Amino acid sequence: MSSKRINKELADLGRDPPSSCSAGPVGDDLYHWQASIMGPADSPYAGGVFFLSIHFPTDYPFKPPKIAFTTKIYHPNINANGNICLDILKDQWSPALTISKVLLSICSLLTDANPDDPLVPDIANVYKNDRAKYEATAKEWTKKYAV
Amino acid sequence: MSESITVNIKSSGDTKYEVTTATSSTILELKEQISAKADVPSDRQRLIYSGKVLKDTETVASYKIQSGHTIHLVKSAAKAAATGGDSSTVSTTATDSQSTPASNQSSQVPSNISAGQGAFNPLADLTGARYAGYTQLPSASMFGPDGGMNAAMPDPEQMSSMMSNPMFQESMNSLLSNPQMLDYFIQQSPQLRALGPQAREMLQSPFFRQMLSNPEMMRSMMEMGRNSMGSGAGFPEPGTGFPAPGANPTGDSTDATTTTTNTGTNPPNPFASMFGNGMPPIDPFAMFGGAGGAQPPAETDSRPPEERYASQLSQLNDMGFFDFDRNVAALRRSGGNVQGAVEYLLSG
Repeated sequence: MSSKRINKELADLGRDPPSSCSAGPVGDDLYHWQASIMGPADSPYAGGVFFLSIHFPTDYPFKPPKIAFTTKIYHPNINANGNICLDILKDQWSPALTISKVLLSICSLLTDANPDDPLVPDIANVYKNDRAKYEATAKEWTKKYAV
Repeated sequence: MSESITVNIKSSGDTKYEVTTATSSTILELKEQISAKADVPSDRQRLIYSGKVLKDTETVASYKIQSGHTIHLVKSAAKAAATGGDSSTVSTTATDSQSTPASNQSSQVPSNISAGQGAFNPLADLTGARYAGYTQLPSASMFGPDGGMNAAMPDPEQMSSMMSNPMFQESMNSLLSNPQMLDYFIQQSPQLRALGPQAREMLQSPFFRQMLSNPEMMRSMMEMGRNSMGSGAGFPEPGTGFPAPGANPTGDSTDATTTTTNTGTNPPNPFASMFGNGMPPIDPFAMFGGAGGAQPPAETDSRPPEERYASQLSQLNDMGFFDFDRNVAALRRSGGNVQGAVEYLLSG
């Protein structure tokens, strides 16, 4: 059942992907994908392309996919290992969600970070107290790692 | 084998181009075709398909790009990206509004944040090997077309051979000793829920487990289930499908049944002894069918769907399916099985 659903999502993504994200299997393994997110224009990540790895559990879509950034990114909700702090990837997951919707949520997380539920408290502090410095650092990291 | 395909090129700002190319052409050739349409020189294009950056030297076919599919185009700000750290791009970076003199700030960037992933789903281990083993043990033919056990009673031979499988017994035991799992069973099955706290006691009682692990017992239960379904009366006729008390395979259940024989003319029912007098007989398979969200099969519903599928509908709502009519239609198709209904909703 999970492979049927994943194939359907793959077909939908090929035909009509969201404008800023793209995803597909790495090799022949349907359960291991890679994805890319183009940094949103209205964020310090503009111009960057960020890569992510996606691992589907065998009981997908009843369990959320495991998604992590493989490109380094300076963000309060994404740590140095690329782990993403996003509720819909954890307790708020719903089988009605798709990879495409999750990637779009990650996009909007890039535009609007959630410093009140940070994964990296240091970055969240900078984000809250010195927004200019946060944006400058995020831009610098984007140029360094994602362009 | 140079078919030509038409692909959509999606660039930033929602601009779209259509490009027709041969599958044998290289990505570089594709980029040149794109540069004729979009105002981006081919060396500043980054093409992304299926999450991958397309390399100039590869061919369109090697990325399995299909006709009608969409490729993303990203303009790289500087040539440096393509040539790998070229320092002669001062002019392009100067026009780049994003350039920041932030090299001194990088020292303040924590470069080694090894914050671990804190929040793991505590229920994730429910999918562990133990339960995986349980779900894969019975062969697919034992279940109905949608995974529920209620659609057709499995062959008793097959069932009893599965029941006597030590692995199955083991996983059954571990299931029943897991309070979380018990709660789940009870919550899922309307029959059990109606029993309240007694259901828990019953499921945890050694007698119940012994019964589960006794193939003969299971077989007689199944036959009882069949007869009751066949006649629609809910009780088998004495002596037809159910062994007489003396023939009852387990010793202590004979003791138990003697307490019930004096309650009426109903045939002795090993389950009844567990609830005391006056409890309806329970088909053990209905309970486990209920674990998949299914309704007991013997029930002939004339109730409205919102009542009949109340628990399944609320589950579907929790999963984010809010269309009542579609949910009901899906549950009807799947015979009340939530998993089957979700499959139907997603593919529909």
